[in-house]
Amino acid sequence: MQSKNKFYKYTLKLQWPAVCRNRSVEILKDRPDLVDQIEKFRKKIDNVTKIICRDSVQIDGNYLMSGVNLWFVSGQDAYEFIIRQPEFEWEITHKLGVLNELTNQLQRFDILYTPTGIQIN
Amino acid sequence: MKSTYITVIGSLPVNFDLDQARHLGPVIASANTNKSNYFDYATVNSEINMQDMLNSPSFKNSTILAPEMLYKKYIFFSNTCCLPEFPGLTSFDIDPNKCTPQTLSLLLAVYLRQTIIFLVGYDISNPTELTRLKSIALANPDCKFMYITNPPRTYQLDDLPNGYCDNFIKFQELIDNAKQK
Repeated sequence: MQSKNKFYKYTLKLQWPAVCRNRSVEILKDRPDLVDQIEKFRKKIDNVTKIICRDSVQIDGNYLMSGVNLWFVSGQDAYEFIIRQPEFEWEITHKLGVLNELTNQLQRFDILYTPTGIQIN
Repeated sequence: MKSTYITVIGSLPVNFDLDQARHLGPVIASANTNKSNYFDYATVNSEINMQDMLNSPSFKNSTILAPEMLYKKYIFFSNTCCLPEFPGLTSFDIDPNKCTPQTLSLLLAVYLRQTIIFLVGYDISNPTELTRLKSIALANPDCKFMYITNPPRTYQLDDLPNGYCDNFIKFQELIDNAKQK
């Protein structure tokens, strides 16, 4: 993912709040309360990334039932976003995507949570 | 990437202004041997070298490539990148985690499909390294491998149809021609 010459190398998926997950568009049409929660959640992500990230972050506009994809330019920002999850009371899926600049392939790695931090497998 | 030349800096310290080589095309460094220069790519497969390179200002704008096992530990550093899977590694008997960084650089140069690969400061005094270089050269007949050395020239690559040897004066001339273009 490229925009304004920035190379968005890292991607994470942040899960919606539990009540909003696994909802089809049809259901969302009948449940404005859920749409409202999703909107608030998006705003929260936007605010948090502005506070904790030093480089650009893109929040994917496409709707996914499980959560929202985020793209980071800086690896340190992606790490910060993962490690500070408890502070913001949200949950990231245990996968980290990294765009390989040599092969242009998106590589997926497992994020393993340990008592002392995280490991990439 | 489609430039004709690529320069591989081997494991030996080089007494030549390596920054000039970038006029010819991309330059690949092998770990941190010549870390006072700037490179486009650098390969590494040991943790100590990786940490040193991440903390060296000269590698700040280089893409540091490491085998997957090492890469995973330093994944959150934006200038690191995972080395691709090189074809035929088992037939060459090369383990990317254990071989020398100069072999990784050579494999990367071949992977990038450049026509002429300059080998500068490339250590062929070790028979294993020489055999690996020859195997890779034989497996890539479309690439020319130009070994750059100070006189006297080496005859160790003469049995290769695509192996050549030249000196730093000729290499400098080539760089000067590239500068003028």
